[in-house]
Amino acid sequence: MKPALFLVALIALVALLVPPLLPYDHISIDWDSVRVGLFSDGHLLGTDDLGRDRLARLLVGTRVTLSVALAAALVALVIGVAWGAIAGWVGGRVDEAMMRIVDGLYALPFMFVVILLMVVFGRSILLVFLGIGFVEWLTMARVVRGQVIALKQRPFILAAEAAGSPARATLWRHILPNVAGVAVAYLMLTVPHVVMIESFLSFLGLGVQEPLTSLGILVNEGAEEMDMNPAALLLPGGVLVLLIASLTVAGERFRDRLADAAK
Amino acid sequence: MSEGYAVRNLGVRIGDQLIVDDVSFTLAPGEVFALAGASGAGKSMSAMTPFGLSAGVASGSAMLDGIELVGLSEHELSRIRAEKIGFVFQQPLTALTPHRTVRQHLQEAAMQAGGAKPDKAAMVVMLEAVGLSRPDERLAQYPHRLSGGERQRVLIAAALAHGPRYLVADEPVSALDAALRGEIMALLVRLCRERGMAMLLVSHDLAGIEHHADRLLLLESGRVAEAGPAPQIATLPATDYGKRLMAATPRLTEPLPSLPETGEVLLEVEAAHIHFPKPGWRRGRIDAVVDASLTLAKGETLALVGGSGSGKSTLGRAIAGLGPMASGIVRWQGETLPPRQRRNAGHRRLIQPVFQDPLASLDPRWNVADIILEPVRWLVPEDDQHERAKDLLEEVGLPRDFASRKPASLSGGQAQRVAIARALSADPEMLLLDEATSALDPLVADGVVALFGRLQRERGLSLLFITHDLALARRAAHRIAVMEAGRIVECAAREELFANPQAEATRRLIAASG
Repeated sequence: MKPALFLVALIALVALLVPPLLPYDHISIDWDSVRVGLFSDGHLLGTDDLGRDRLARLLVGTRVTLSVALAAALVALVIGVAWGAIAGWVGGRVDEAMMRIVDGLYALPFMFVVILLMVVFGRSILLVFLGIGFVEWLTMARVVRGQVIALKQRPFILAAEAAGSPARATLWRHILPNVAGVAVAYLMLTVPHVVMIESFLSFLGLGVQEPLTSLGILVNEGAEEMDMNPAALLLPGGVLVLLIASLTVAGERFRDRLADAAK
Repeated sequence: MSEGYAVRNLGVRIGDQLIVDDVSFTLAPGEVFALAGASGAGKSMSAMTPFGLSAGVASGSAMLDGIELVGLSEHELSRIRAEKIGFVFQQPLTALTPHRTVRQHLQEAAMQAGGAKPDKAAMVVMLEAVGLSRPDERLAQYPHRLSGGERQRVLIAAALAHGPRYLVADEPVSALDAALRGEIMALLVRLCRERGMAMLLVSHDLAGIEHHADRLLLLESGRVAEAGPAPQIATLPATDYGKRLMAATPRLTEPLPSLPETGEVLLEVEAAHIHFPKPGWRRGRIDAVVDASLTLAKGETLALVGGSGSGKSTLGRAIAGLGPMASGIVRWQGETLPPRQRRNAGHRRLIQPVFQDPLASLDPRWNVADIILEPVRWLVPEDDQHERAKDLLEEVGLPRDFASRKPASLSGGQAQRVAIARALSADPEMLLLDEATSALDPLVADGVVALFGRLQRERGLSLLFITHDLALARRAAHRIAVMEAGRIVECAAREELFANPQAEATRRLIAASG
């Protein structure tokens, strides 16, 4: 888990701290050097068709992708945990109704929902957050609900009732702390998934809009010129693969460690 | 080639740890030989490792019909297992594959050593031999349709399907209802006698095997404590360990220990009814408790005895306000206690529970002091709580520095003592003990029962002692109430109950426990 997390942190730090230090930002056009190659003067990774610095764009794109992923995963965490915990804790008809809503939302085609959101509210990065969080919380709610139901039957919950602990206190002090590990482990597996969805949407032109950029857009642009300039595809693609792989590994390790600790 | 099974200087290692050291015994054809001891004594390891069915690595020698098992490859061991040995395990549900019918289990078992596929008549005979009713219908059934006892009978039938010469039974009845244990054990022994099979029996329950095994070997932390004819060891153990183990096992034949005097009546339950809706979409209800009435005096222990599903836990929880109650009255010193949702701190304080599974009844994320003080927080607010937690630890026989531990670092017995300390921290008048010792090792359970006795004398506690073990109830309780199918069929002082049992269920329980 540690090396993977370290890699994620490194990528995030570089994406966050390095852009202000560069001589060019990701938008301005350098008219003197349009479409120059790798290691040109002043442009370490060259420039694109419009003369924008590729390094600046790669770093900003990484930053955007990461923040979309984090925000969407947090939306998923908050809604999913609240929804799942309430459904599992209250049980009975309430549980039944809440979970049927989740099932219904599952049945909606995700792309359709996002396109609809875009059409109705116009394109904005906020909607990308919301749209993705909207899909991811469903699974989180199911995971948390299952955990809560399993925990609710453990005798220590009954012992808490005998100890006079009010239901709300039991939920806060016994149930949620015991769900937290599983929720965090699942969250860590959600982030790479969200990164992928964001890149996919941006690749299709539905996500982040120019001149802002993301890893998905960069991959899309790179794909168009890969016969002449493979680095334009391989660099953002490589960062994306590294991010997703290390996040997934970190998430799985964390989940395994929880499972061991539970034994 | 010599017949029989001879183990000489057997050692079992897991990693660097020596689990079993220098164990020797022989099993003659047609003999029933038992390995007994407390949990962790290496019983199962000694029985299973030579056959390649444990995580351990064997050393020494284990000769089966002249073949040395130690050092054989997994492939060769698997052939020997299939040809010569039948296995019966503890968990009847997990030992059967849920998606296969009884017929498929029997066919697979019969064909494992290359035997012919048995026809229906042959399989009916197998099931009849293990005493399963309506065998021809059973063949098409899946494991979930069978009760625990029926599953264990199917497992035995499957273990015998290929006609083995040896049977290895690892705690074959521990997971079953008390009333069934003697019956299944007798069945196993009878089958061995009829077929001239030898049985290697692993059990922690000395009282349960003393009439069934021919010879007995007591293990203590991986070493032989003593060995000899079963009735002799079971009644007159020579070693200290054997004596302690014997004393820890309650028996109906032992002299009645004296119990403290009791005071005026504290708790009265009148005509309690409890029912649950049927699971799934079906209408209707399951009557868990029907018209149950009982009383409990100050300083008295009332045992609630019955098989699983008899409603004893459901009734106990309803009394403590931890479960639903459809109708009926619970009175405390004449004052009616409100139903579950409306019990306040004052009501909750009176009755505190201790549950069966000690580790599951402690929140794994809390430390011991916080766990013990949970009732204090809600029920009896006071200062200097940390000292109180440590005092309680001492009272239940644990070191004071356990306060900062997490449940995962406790053994089963220690965890149960922490659960008892938590119950005591509310300063209760009565404890609800819901099978509080049945998940524990016999020696540890005996210590916990003794702790309950001491707490009762020192604090004048009333105990509602829910158990399936009639002999334990006889040892610990002033009065015994027998439950069957949700009803209290008999309730009497312990001397009277055994001298003159009234209900059919009581007589059956006594017969099964003898």
